[in-house]
Amino acid sequence: MTISRHRNPPEAPPTPAGAPVIIDLREVKKAYHSPAGDFWALKGISAQVHTGEFLGIVGRSGAGKSTLLNMISGVDSLTSGEVLVDGISIHAMDENQAALWRGRNLGVIYQSFQLMPMLSLLQNVLLPMDMSGMWRNGRSVTRARQLLDEVGLSDHIHKLPSAISGGQQQRVAIARALANDPPILLADEPTGRLDSGTADSIMKIFEQLVAGGKTIVMVTHDQSLASRMSRVLWLADGSLVQTRTEAMA
Amino acid sequence: MIRPRWQKVFADLIGNKTRSLLVILSIAVGLFAIGILETNHEIITADMLTGYHNTNPANITMQTSGISDDLLDTVRGMDGVDQAEHLRSFSLRAHTGTSQWLQMDLMAIPDYDDFEINTVSLMEGRFPPKRGEVVLEQSKMDDLNVALGDTLEVELPSGRSRELLVVGVVQVQTLGAVSGGGGFFVANPLGYVNPDDLGWLEQPNTNNRLVITVLGDNEDEIYIQTVAQEIRDDLKADGVTVNSAVIRKRSSHPTAVYVDAISQVLFALGALVVLLSSFLITNTLNALLTQQTQQIGILKLVGGRRWQVALIYLVLILVYGLVALAISIPLSARAAYVLLEYLAGQINVELQGYRVVPAAVYLQIAIAVIVPQLAGLVPVLQGTRIRVQQAFSGIREEDSLQQHGWLEQKLARLRGLPRPLLISLRNTFRRKGRLVLTLITLTLGGAIFIATINTRSSVDAYLTQLSHYFLADVNLSLEDPERIARVTKELSAVPGISLVEGWAGATGEIITASGAVADSAQVIGPPVDTQLMTPTLLEGRWLLPEDARAIVVNERFRDSLPGLQIGDSVTLRINGKETDWVVVGFLKMAGRSLDSMAYTSYDQLAHLTGSVRQARLFRIAADQPNRTLEEQSELARQVELAMRDAGYTVTEARAGLMVLDKTDDGLNVMTSFLLILSGLAAVVGSIGLAGTLSINVLERMREIGVMRAVGASNRDVIRMVLVEGLIIGLLSWLLSLVVAVPISKLLSDLISMAIFSTTSIFVYTLNGPLLWLGVVIVLSVISSLAPAISAARLTIREVLAYE
Ligand SMILES: Nc1ncnc2c1ncn2[C@@H]1O[C@H](COP(=O)(O)OP(=O)(O)O)[C@@H](O)[C@H]1O
Ligand SMILES: [Mg+2]
Repeated sequence: MTISRHRNPPEAPPTPAGAPVIIDLREVKKAYHSPAGDFWALKGISAQVHTGEFLGIVGRSGAGKSTLLNMISGVDSLTSGEVLVDGISIHAMDENQAALWRGRNLGVIYQSFQLMPMLSLLQNVLLPMDMSGMWRNGRSVTRARQLLDEVGLSDHIHKLPSAISGGQQQRVAIARALANDPPILLADEPTGRLDSGTADSIMKIFEQLVAGGKTIVMVTHDQSLASRMSRVLWLADGSLVQTRTEAMA
Repeated sequence: MIRPRWQKVFADLIGNKTRSLLVILSIAVGLFAIGILETNHEIITADMLTGYHNTNPANITMQTSGISDDLLDTVRGMDGVDQAEHLRSFSLRAHTGTSQWLQMDLMAIPDYDDFEINTVSLMEGRFPPKRGEVVLEQSKMDDLNVALGDTLEVELPSGRSRELLVVGVVQVQTLGAVSGGGGFFVANPLGYVNPDDLGWLEQPNTNNRLVITVLGDNEDEIYIQTVAQEIRDDLKADGVTVNSAVIRKRSSHPTAVYVDAISQVLFALGALVVLLSSFLITNTLNALLTQQTQQIGILKLVGGRRWQVALIYLVLILVYGLVALAISIPLSARAAYVLLEYLAGQINVELQGYRVVPAAVYLQIAIAVIVPQLAGLVPVLQGTRIRVQQAFSGIREEDSLQQHGWLEQKLARLRGLPRPLLISLRNTFRRKGRLVLTLITLTLGGAIFIATINTRSSVDAYLTQLSHYFLADVNLSLEDPERIARVTKELSAVPGISLVEGWAGATGEIITASGAVADSAQVIGPPVDTQLMTPTLLEGRWLLPEDARAIVVNERFRDSLPGLQIGDSVTLRINGKETDWVVVGFLKMAGRSLDSMAYTSYDQLAHLTGSVRQARLFRIAADQPNRTLEEQSELARQVELAMRDAGYTVTEARAGLMVLDKTDDGLNVMTSFLLILSGLAAVVGSIGLAGTLSINVLERMREIGVMRAVGASNRDVIRMVLVEGLIIGLLSWLLSLVVAVPISKLLSDLISMAIFSTTSIFVYTLNGPLLWLGVVIVLSVISSLAPAISAARLTIREVLAYE
């Protein structure tokens, strides 16, 4: 499978230790404000992700995993600290700049797929190219078809998301995430709504993508998936902890 | 391949047909209203002018003792005179049915082949009339109760009657041009007869009317006035008496004043309708963007910047506008012409043919493109502001920080109300922004409706006030002055009469300081203690017995001498004699719609005209008040018979209410227009209500599902939505009662200023609110029925699957 256009040429198996840092989290804190008072969902997270890593963020529900991922994708504001992605401080950008940057450099995958319901699968995959100024008339369509083909959906490209299964929808979401060939993929419980067989096939796609040079950060509460990732950060109550037992206690 | 963002626009457009229809309709209604108004305005203004020009209207019309052919030639040779013609103009009574007689005007033109001033257009039959024939003016023909081919019976001065064959129908756009602004509406029926029939109709064979067009600036009243003055001086030197001279600009169609009044009011209303429809657009878009929050999140997630996302929605709005435009342009053009045809007859305008009015098209395009964008801007900007994370989680930090509003707290504390009603109440107030917009839309719709009816009543009140000048049940005019005491005695034999007053009357002219004629004026001399009029004074006082030459004048008289003050002296020429009068009061009558009028005491005027203790005009009161027009007509008939039997020559015996009855005709045209527009306002309002309710229902699918799951029946669900609709409807009704106050005032004033040139009498009748209450209840039920039924039809599974 050659989903990547070789922007990051496959350099044999990933070697995180020596690879450059692509995501750098520095003392990231996030508080939610409510009438009852402030709630600290992230209490100062510092961590680094290296190019080519398949990093897992694992913890129990409510630990702050999604919040942390949102800090990396820049879809939510942080309270203090800094997030550098590819050397760029993404929270220093304004919302529009961040959106454009995200559209070109990140692929984000959610548990609930987040597909546009009234657009065909093909149109959904084309969407990032259109919105982030990467639209190249004929070539965009060719690429979208190719991506859908690679996730095994070439027979359904003109269907609406509601006409296909959840597993298939998640594949569309992955194809969409890859539309602009970003170096980094972020996935928030991508298998959370899928049965184990389907979940496995999604994990396989991820493994191939990593093999192809992508960096993936995946959030899950399912510790059984930890073994399939190159490294795991354990999260509990908004802080990183050292061991699985601490995180899952 | 089409870009996904445009695909989304397309999908939004056809994916939710109800919503698209709602927005498109609300835009289209506004466009439609403006399209009709602009088309009507342009065509009427243009055709009124062209048509009127084509009739070559007289700039000067003089009523004289008689103009010979030689004298006419002299006039034609005078400076400033372009064309001049003379003709015989007279009045007879026409038989309109069993014992019904109506005063009509007749004209005999000496040379029909060579008649170029005040020309007429033939509608039906033929023109000119041969001997024994009459050609009738079309707009007042109904009053005469005859049709082409019928015979018209007229009564001659001797009391004998003659039959004239109706051989033609003509449009006469100069009808009413010799009296005030409302001249057309109060004009008598008009007919043209053959000059060789004058003797047969017991008329002298002299041409008493002189019509003239001026050379030079025929739009300059002052200039025309000076030309008229020279002609008058010349005629006087030749021994001709000029009883009256009416000056009229070439462009001044007799109903132009009404058209202006109507136009202003209609445009004000049209603007309100557009405003209403824009509220509707705002409301629907608000709901749309709320529903699509998640999609907005996705667009931003994959690289969409805020303006890009906003643009998608603005383009959607543009498409809505264009579709609405495609509907409204042809539709409004058709509807405009249907209206125009009706209107043209009512205001005596000759339409110059169907055509597209580019201004109306451009105006609609401009509104279709601009107004929805403006209306959608706030919801779009607000809706696209949301951050991706907030869009996906459905949590906005501002929301969670908000306290429950006082309204929710109040509602929560309401006790003793049945539970379903409470649910409806709570639902109604849940989305405050939307509720407010819906309320504004419905309220404005209702307020316009109520204001329309109030405006009509306000005009009626004005007419009622005017009627205080015409309290007599019967106005009797005799051919010659007769002794008042004798006439009174004669009439005492007629049953049902309580009072007879002899009034003096004369036609005079208002002379300016420089000696020019400012206007012709009716000088009326009621007994100083008259009981048959109750004047309303704007300033100054009414006449007193001890007054010497004092007058009280109406608005038009006052306007004819700019700067006129109480206590000023005014020169009037009456029967060729100039006399000075002191102005002691200004009357509130009916503004520009009447001629200039000056009231003085009977004694003064009778003395001046040399007819002391005599009168030609008698005002008669019935012994019971508040007679109807029919009863008055019957009494008039009795009076006439009695007088005739006693050997008097009666010119006319007219029911007192007749004047008002005619003025009404003009106002009915306006009222029908007002009603059409308030109907449109009601339509917009109900689209708004239906929209809000269906959006509310959509948003509560889950809740409805839960209600069904716990055993609520179809009827319960339908009732819940219906009650919600009714609550909104009734609330808007209450509000519209209040909002109608300023709108009524505005509309009434606009119309009053235009027609009567004075502010209105404010009237607030119960009819409007009551009617609107009925309309609102029906509208609320109808517009909540569809959403209610679709809510009830949802299966629990569908509802719970909906997200
Ligand atoms: N928008 C929000 N407002 C308030 N609290 C929130 C919000 N989003 C998340 N939280 C809280 O922050 C904590 C972490 O949430 P989250 O990052 O979604 O956890 P996870 O993804 O690990 O299950 C939870 O306790 C959650 O209730
Ligand atoms: Mg989560």
